[in-house]
Amino acid sequence: MLETLLPILIFSALGLAVIGAWRRVRLWRQGRPSPVPLLKGLAAMPRRYLVDLHHVVERDKVMSNTHVATAGGFVAAAVLMILVHGLGLGSSEGLGGVLGWALLAASACMFVGSLFVARRRRHPPARLSKGPWMRLPKSLMAFSLGVFLITLPTVGVLPEDFGSWILALALAAVVVWGLGEMVFGMTWGGPMKHAFAGALHLAFHRRPERFGGGRSTGLKALDLDDPEAKLGVETPSDFTWNQLLGFDACVQCGRCEAVCPAFAAGQPLNPKKLIQDMVVGLAGGSDAAYAGSPYPGKPVGEHHGNPHGPIVAREGEALVDAETLWSCTTCRACVEECPMMIEHVDAIVDMRRFLTLEHGNTPNKGAEVLDNLIATDNPGGFDPGARLHWAADLDLPMMAERGEAEVLLWLGDGAYDMRNQRTLRALVKVLRAAEVDFAVLGNEERDSGDVARRLGDEATFQSLARRNIATLAKYRFRHIVTCDPHSFHVLGNEYGELGGHYAVQHHSTFIAELYDAGRLAFKPWKGGRVTYHDPCYLGRYNGEFEAPRRVLAALGIQVAEMERSGFRSRCCGGGGGAPITDIPGKQRIPDMRMNDVEATGAELVAVGCPQCTAMLEGVVDAGAEVRDIAELVADALTEAPQATGETVRPQAVEVV
Amino acid sequence: MRPEQQGVEVAVLVSVGCHPITGRARRADQDARGLELALGLERQLPGSRVSLLHAGPRGEESEAALRGYLGMGLESLTLLEQAEGSDAIPALAEHLAAAPPQLVITGARAERGEGSGLLPYALAERLGWPLVNGLAAVETIENGVATLLQALPRGQRRRLKVRLPAIVSVDGAAPVARQSAFGPARRAELEATSVPAEPDRELAEWQLAPARKRPKRLKIVKAASARDRFKAAAAKAEGGGGQVLTDVTPEQGAEAIFKLLQEEGVLR
Amino acid sequence: MNEIKRRDPRKEWIARNRLHPQHLEVLAERGQGAASEWLGPNGVVRKNPHAIGFIGPNGVKRIDRSGAQQGGQAAGSTRQAAQDSRRNVTIEAPAFLVAVVPELSGGRLSGHDKDLLGLARRLADADPERPGAVLAVVFGEHKEEGFGEAGIDRLLHLDDDAYAGFAPEARLAALSAVERELAPRHWLLPDSPLGGADLGRRLALRLGERPATGVWQIEADGEAPLGWRCTARGAAESLDIQRPLPRVALALAECAEPVDETRHAAEPLSLAEAIPSAFSRIEDLGQVAVDPAGVALAEAEFIVSGGNGVKDWDGFHHAARVLGATEGASRVAVDDGFMERHRQVGATGTWVTARVYLAVGISGAIQHLQGIQSCDKVVAINLDPGCDMIKRADLAVVSDSGEILAALVAKVEQQRGGQRDAA
Repeated sequence: MLETLLPILIFSALGLAVIGAWRRVRLWRQGRPSPVPLLKGLAAMPRRYLVDLHHVVERDKVMSNTHVATAGGFVAAAVLMILVHGLGLGSSEGLGGVLGWALLAASACMFVGSLFVARRRRHPPARLSKGPWMRLPKSLMAFSLGVFLITLPTVGVLPEDFGSWILALALAAVVVWGLGEMVFGMTWGGPMKHAFAGALHLAFHRRPERFGGGRSTGLKALDLDDPEAKLGVETPSDFTWNQLLGFDACVQCGRCEAVCPAFAAGQPLNPKKLIQDMVVGLAGGSDAAYAGSPYPGKPVGEHHGNPHGPIVAREGEALVDAETLWSCTTCRACVEECPMMIEHVDAIVDMRRFLTLEHGNTPNKGAEVLDNLIATDNPGGFDPGARLHWAADLDLPMMAERGEAEVLLWLGDGAYDMRNQRTLRALVKVLRAAEVDFAVLGNEERDSGDVARRLGDEATFQSLARRNIATLAKYRFRHIVTCDPHSFHVLGNEYGELGGHYAVQHHSTFIAELYDAGRLAFKPWKGGRVTYHDPCYLGRYNGEFEAPRRVLAALGIQVAEMERSGFRSRCCGGGGGAPITDIPGKQRIPDMRMNDVEATGAELVAVGCPQCTAMLEGVVDAGAEVRDIAELVADALTEAPQATGETVRPQAVEVV
Repeated sequence: MRPEQQGVEVAVLVSVGCHPITGRARRADQDARGLELALGLERQLPGSRVSLLHAGPRGEESEAALRGYLGMGLESLTLLEQAEGSDAIPALAEHLAAAPPQLVITGARAERGEGSGLLPYALAERLGWPLVNGLAAVETIENGVATLLQALPRGQRRRLKVRLPAIVSVDGAAPVARQSAFGPARRAELEATSVPAEPDRELAEWQLAPARKRPKRLKIVKAASARDRFKAAAAKAEGGGGQVLTDVTPEQGAEAIFKLLQEEGVLR
Repeated sequence: MNEIKRRDPRKEWIARNRLHPQHLEVLAERGQGAASEWLGPNGVVRKNPHAIGFIGPNGVKRIDRSGAQQGGQAAGSTRQAAQDSRRNVTIEAPAFLVAVVPELSGGRLSGHDKDLLGLARRLADADPERPGAVLAVVFGEHKEEGFGEAGIDRLLHLDDDAYAGFAPEARLAALSAVERELAPRHWLLPDSPLGGADLGRRLALRLGERPATGVWQIEADGEAPLGWRCTARGAAESLDIQRPLPRVALALAECAEPVDETRHAAEPLSLAEAIPSAFSRIEDLGQVAVDPAGVALAEAEFIVSGGNGVKDWDGFHHAARVLGATEGASRVAVDDGFMERHRQVGATGTWVTARVYLAVGISGAIQHLQGIQSCDKVVAINLDPGCDMIKRADLAVVSDSGEILAALVAKVEQQRGGQRDAA
């Protein structure tokens, strides 16, 4: 009886799945077009899945192995089941027998995996979504066990007509459950949707450069020349179709939630919920079915949306509240951590763009900062002619006079900040000590546009960027060095799209190179314990984790690493305009980071970013001092070894 | 909301501003506050209509600045196009007289040119309308009478009743202008009409120069003796450091503070 | 026996000899103590410069030879003398009139008014042969007694309820009547918001004049129609406009030195004709009670600001209420949730311009100090005598903020109670 029932079941499940898939694809296609090489993407998908994605998943070893067993077992079992039970190739002789045994092995493997899934679901951590996800281990077991049992007679372990029709019916029911969850549910919206959407998301990812070890972190430009083009994202259908696909791929593992600084600070943002809200918007409905942690302070079930309705209402509630979007520090911790490689930050900035460019609703100091950027080219509203006042005594070489230099020193808006001026002075001292041929733009420099862009004001960003590019085009230099990772990122990764291609280095990288070339010599370190805080825009955005540590090692400092460092570094709270939009939470992000610092017992935290310096120094009663790497290097400078030889001689003369 | 309240026609006169530090054209702060007030009125009295009016030359810079107002959420601006250096008052008065709104809102002073703050007065005189300056809020408009709050120094307010049509001018006490958004600003239309212009000959004859820093007034002490003069000068130069009371009882400390508060007259 | 004064030449000699080891002892014995001056034996006044003077603020001994040790009352008496030394001036038949309409804020001539009157005097007294007279037009009740000292020759006091409050139309009608009857050569008004700025512009347009606004300097210029040129601020304070002085000028504060050497007659004047009553389309409903707590920080004149050092927030709020002050806060107090974000003072919050800024338990981060740089008087209450806020403060009390505020509240309440009893 099962022999007749199984093909019907399998093919009807597959048929329904195809219908579901078609419906799902139609949902995604509501998004704006985005040119993606379809076939090339599909061809690259297995490698992206097995290599790139696996690297991310592998950070949690147990889950990684569980997933390999379950997913691998399932894919193999599903294919073999179609062959064996669907097409009836499972006669016990010849190839069929091998297939049957393989199916047994695959389903057994999947069963083992599902046991681990079940174990994890017994006491799930807070970051995991509950709801339908709690039945997933049972469904997995139903599928694997059902398939295993129905295959036993096929390979001849049990007699063909084993048991009664009641048993067969019970078995069929179990298989129906398994097929329902695993095949039907995959495209109709169950937990297994992630497999279907995830695979396609990997194939059609909007940042294919991220695969194969690459890095792609620069925001994508809006086309402002086209008056018809939408300025940012108003409704879910304003996302590109592959962004919508990406949202649908979310497995709700909550790794993003676990690393999100805003979530930890009690600000109303949870990256996982945000992505799920986008899925709600994509399909239409309310977020009441969401079964994970809510946005802190915002109960679930009050928001609803549809593909063509606004995501953020001008008044009242829609799908997401504006303050959720403005809580983000754009630190990319969620993106770095996401095993599905979903691009949360892109989505948030897209939505912010609409709020700023169309609603004109940048919260708190946002509007003032943007006005200042428009009127004075710096966020503080300072006189653009006063950019170099701090260096009046330094006699900095000016590009306007020199025309060319090996290094163009990009000062950034920190030039107006008294604290950062100390860092800049230190950096100039270091460059002079290493006899670097450098020059500055002086008053010709403008804000890089980082803050404007992340506050969603693409128009101001592009205006600043184009003028900066025009200025830079006048001069010849080998590369740009800056002590501001935000300028570093924008100049290096985001000006390219507007026609400015530069080799940009962070000052820590440059100092490390100078040291390696023997152009700097340092006194041994005499201070206490030191830890290092990775700036998001240097580390996660640009992959520079090593150079600052090399510089610190060269100074003779052994870095006492924080628990969250390197690519997992926790944000200082200063990025993405977050201090400007200033969304209240339960605690402040820099306070949490300073607690991380203090947990290492360090007396000093080395940083490499003016934002981080300002945020961490703003912590009241902090236990550790905050110093920029450039300051530490400048303090430790000593004359190079060959120079000391020369200084010995006059001493000898004096003795005579 | 009372039933008698009904929509009003509001015209907001706007000018091309000038950033105090960089001198770049922008929406003028006071005019933008005026527009904000008008938009608030539109909300408060459904059926109100807000129109924007500017008289001046059309250029790239000034257009960008004018679009700054449109970015606050208006669809069009009427531009009375005139040559640079023309007197805007006759053109504006004529335009307003042709289709009189009930309320004209304008900033107290322009950020460019003479910036004498005469324009609202000149219009009021020409049109024969009442004028209220330093407006902080419009409370109600009923049966052609507006109840307004006028700003007095230090956050104080005075309530006035004015018969419409009227001209009101706003300064820094009016609500801060909302953010200007790029999208609406780009889409909105400038409806330009050329108007005959009389050049402002008087202004052309004056000498304009960037503002000099005004000399700080010296405390001239007319004292009988050299000693008193010296003491006064020395006291001035000393400045800086204030009085620090340590090891005092709370009562003594409070007494000292109380004395200062009384001297400054902030205790009421 | 005792009546006979006996001289002890040795002691006299010791008393004269400052270097003698017993010198001070002898002086004390002779009852002269550290007297600095005594009559010597030959009838010559002797001075001991060591015994005079006082220890100055920096620990250096200062000798005050004016005879007025420590100043105090002496300064008062000299001021008296200076006032008495004012020359009385009466201009009987003025060649022309310079009309001034002072703003009289609070019923008294403000500093701005006095500067303006100084300017009027310059215009009036330019030609000593043909002096003009300064006419002040004063509306409503006033409490000023020093019109003469401020340089006013003629005083036209228009006291009528019609001029009370915001009554530009009635005032304008009155000024038009003055113009018709007295035809002053110059009209000067203070360019102060809600003072002369409004009335002056109305007047100018009524007279058909193009006034000079924001005038801060005048100089004689024979070519100009009225013989003067002026420099006026234009374009939001960013331009200086040089132009001939028109009939109507609105001047800024410190446009001239106030009168301080002469006393003028301030002779009362009245108009012959009755002033036509103006039809008013503006009705003043009076001042609105404004809750100081609701006043925007940027506008507030008295701010009590709390920071990290405030432990008793209820007490803080109570104190602010009793003092009638607007509440502010430091960034930390806002971050900790004790105050709302819009109450934050500083470069990252609101820049304030208060007359008095009372900083309670605020140590004074650079951003905070930046935000209060235009406050006139800063009072600090803090436990840490070395903090930056105390360095900035005009008056600082190093003590527990809660106790001080409580004592201050008690003091203010006692004072108010006393006043009520007296009334």
